Amino acid sequence: MGFWVTTLIFLLAGVVGSLFSLLCCNRGPSTNLFHLTLVITATVCCWMMWAIVYLAQLKPLINPILSGE
Amino acid sequence: MGVFDRLPPMDHLRSEKMCFVQLIIPAESARLAVTYLGELGLLQFKDLNDDKSPFQRIFVNQVKRCAEMSRKLRFFSDQINKAGVKSSVRPAMQPDIDLEELEAKLGEHEHDLLEMNTNSEKLLQTYNELLEFKLVLSKAGGILASSHNHAAPAERELDENIFDKEMDDGNAYLLEQGIHLGVSENSGVKFVSGIILKSKAMAFERMLFRATRGNMFFNQAPAGEPVTGPISGEEVEKTVFVVFFSGDQAKAKILKICDSFGASCYPVPEEMVKQRQIFREVSARLADLEATLDAGIQHRNKALESVGSQLWRWIIMVKKEKAVYDTLNMLNFDVTKKCLVGEGWCPIFAKSQIKDVLQRATLHSNSQVGIIFHEMDTIDSPPTYFRTDKFTNAFQEIVDAYGIARYEEANPAVYSVITFPFLFAVMFGDWGHGICLLLGACVLILREKKLSSQKLGSFMEMAFGGRYVILLMALFSIYCGLIYNEFFSVPFHIFGKSAYECREKTCSDAHTAGLIKVRDAYPFGVDPSWRGSRSELPFLNSLKMKMSILMGVTQMNLGIVLSYFDAKFHGNALDIRYQFIPQMIFLNSLFGYLALLILIKWCTGSQADLYHVMIYMFLDPAGDLGENQLFWGQKELQILLLLMAIVAVPWMLFPKPFILKKLHKERFQGHTYRFLGTSEMDPDSEPDSARSRHDDFNFTEVFVHQMIHSIEFVLGAVSNTASYLRLWALSLAHSELSTVFYEKLLLLAWGYDSFVVKLVGLLVFAFATAFILLMMESLSAFLHALRLHWVEFMNKFYHGDGYKFKPFSFALLADDED
Repeated sequence: MGFWVTTLIFLLAGVVGSLFSLLCCNRGPSTNLFHLTLVITATVCCWMMWAIVYLAQLKPLINPILSGE
Repeated sequence: MGVFDRLPPMDHLRSEKMCFVQLIIPAESARLAVTYLGELGLLQFKDLNDDKSPFQRIFVNQVKRCAEMSRKLRFFSDQINKAGVKSSVRPAMQPDIDLEELEAKLGEHEHDLLEMNTNSEKLLQTYNELLEFKLVLSKAGGILASSHNHAAPAERELDENIFDKEMDDGNAYLLEQGIHLGVSENSGVKFVSGIILKSKAMAFERMLFRATRGNMFFNQAPAGEPVTGPISGEEVEKTVFVVFFSGDQAKAKILKICDSFGASCYPVPEEMVKQRQIFREVSARLADLEATLDAGIQHRNKALESVGSQLWRWIIMVKKEKAVYDTLNMLNFDVTKKCLVGEGWCPIFAKSQIKDVLQRATLHSNSQVGIIFHEMDTIDSPPTYFRTDKFTNAFQEIVDAYGIARYEEANPAVYSVITFPFLFAVMFGDWGHGICLLLGACVLILREKKLSSQKLGSFMEMAFGGRYVILLMALFSIYCGLIYNEFFSVPFHIFGKSAYECREKTCSDAHTAGLIKVRDAYPFGVDPSWRGSRSELPFLNSLKMKMSILMGVTQMNLGIVLSYFDAKFHGNALDIRYQFIPQMIFLNSLFGYLALLILIKWCTGSQADLYHVMIYMFLDPAGDLGENQLFWGQKELQILLLLMAIVAVPWMLFPKPFILKKLHKERFQGHTYRFLGTSEMDPDSEPDSARSRHDDFNFTEVFVHQMIHSIEFVLGAVSNTASYLRLWALSLAHSELSTVFYEKLLLLAWGYDSFVVKLVGLLVFAFATAFILLMMESLSAFLHALRLHWVEFMNKFYHGDGYKFKPFSFALLADDED
């Protein structure tokens, strides 16, 4: 599934989340901005976590050696 | 940057705008006005009578009366608790009582209750004494009977008959006389009977022996039933004793010794008939007393019940009144003595609400004059007020525990709502444990209404207060657990096939050379083939360490960017130019560059040694990189970045103090005279602090402060980046503990055939997981995530030297008391 495709999926998830928060918890522009900040921060954190682990496994320098004899 | 200007101000980012107000209240509407303001709860009064002692204030008498009433109410609640009376709280159907009426009522009730208590105490004392007497009678009678042991067995039989069975008293008396005639040779022998604490009996006997030089005979028998001591209220074991002696001196000595040992002496007649008679009398009196006592207790309990049903209402009423008078004590009488003047802080959005409330108070108190409410200028810095709801409250409290935000400073809680649970999850990542946490959080949230009205223990209260924090921690833990691919340390193949396979079908070299990568990288998370392999730790350690650095650099950059927005909000161009920019340059040219190297190494699969690269960037910048070269032009870039970092340090250290000095000189040039107090200045405000600012610019102080700040930043850049490695350390610890419990407890127990062993193994695994992993590791990860926020994130921009807005509010009073 490629790096960029999944990044796009995260981006779309973030947009969907923001729209959802705007639609269902609409409580004035300043509160909306706050909710938007929360959703964007969460999306960025989750994407970063995934991206770091994915990139580390793209071209690894070692490979799994099974334990046992 | 223009985009950010056009956005509306964000909720929770900065504290509410406050204004300093002055109230002028006519005396007759003062109490009502303050009461209504307390119900609204949006005005913080300033104490204008700070320098006066509590006894010099205006309303000291009323406060004393309230204190007296609350003492009486505490007395009532003590009595109710002691008596164990459970009173139903009837709904507030009763009309509101006036305070004076309440005072009178409370006084009455207290008087009644005290009277009832003294009476019961006296009765109880008498009852206990009689009970002891009864015991002494029965046991001493036995002792006396057995002491006539030289009587003939027939006579003994007669004794027993007399004592145990109902017989005609007259006959028995004659018979007894006969027996006693035989015994009264030693007519000088007298005896003292009484009852003493069992623990003291031995010492008592010895003392008596010594005092009478052995000329006494001590006989004792245990009382059989525990007695309530007449002095203390507890039940103790007692022993009945009879001391035989001769002579009056001995008697005096014995009585004195009885006194000193706290033994109570009761006269027991020698004749058994008389004993029985007195026994019957005493029993009858005891029965009477019991009935009286019971009636007394019933009466008291009824009184307590009637008090108890209204007690809670009264307590709240008195608390409110006391608070109102305490607040009124903060106001000042004006010159005409007809009005009270008060000052305080209130949020700007609440001004109209307060005006309404004051108007209502004027109406209800039938005052002719309205209350004056107007804004004032002041030099004090305003209190910090965040309007939090039940979700953001816990996060705001976490930030406030470090320090209350300065007025209108950027509030880290906005980002902490997400980053704090996220960093927790990075250290806790296991989706099995995450699900357990989620269940716990859901239980707390679903029973919110019920739990919030109950009184909880201190641990449960903390857990309940942080239920939304726990919920977010659980959700992020599940996500990170899926990424680390750990379900109670077991990996799953949820997202497709592993990228690694054996080199050949027989997998002969899987344990020596290992598997090879045949497909693209595992799409989501850590490849399940790594778990249990020999090279798992080197791989995961490298991954997690680099992850920690990347996350650390990101969070620290966020902190510095927040300091930019703060400086922009306060119009402080100096801070932007001489603090934000050099800080960004320094941090990113060193650690941002490291992050870049990490990413490039991952993307290109190079074998460069990053430790070597970073260290030799400083030690030998012009040296050749050789096989550590990651991209073209790396050496030149490194030299450039090093130079930029070196330039940034004096950039953040020197210019600012000099420019501040120049600005200060320009501003106060030629102002050698002080300002006189004009008539427009409010007599209540303090001009002293304004005066003291004029000549206050101490260059040395400012320079040293800037130097400390710069050194802290420069050294902190290294130490804080390294500090983020705790993300790696804790997640490794969690993973290892989890693996150990799984392999050495569950798998081991599951290997046996016996069902009992399997069950025991499962139970031990469950307990170990719950207590060590879920509780201890949670607390540990919570603490470390907290530290990362408080120190590494917040010291980039947060001052935290404000004070919290504490309005006069009845709702907050209730919280305070608890």
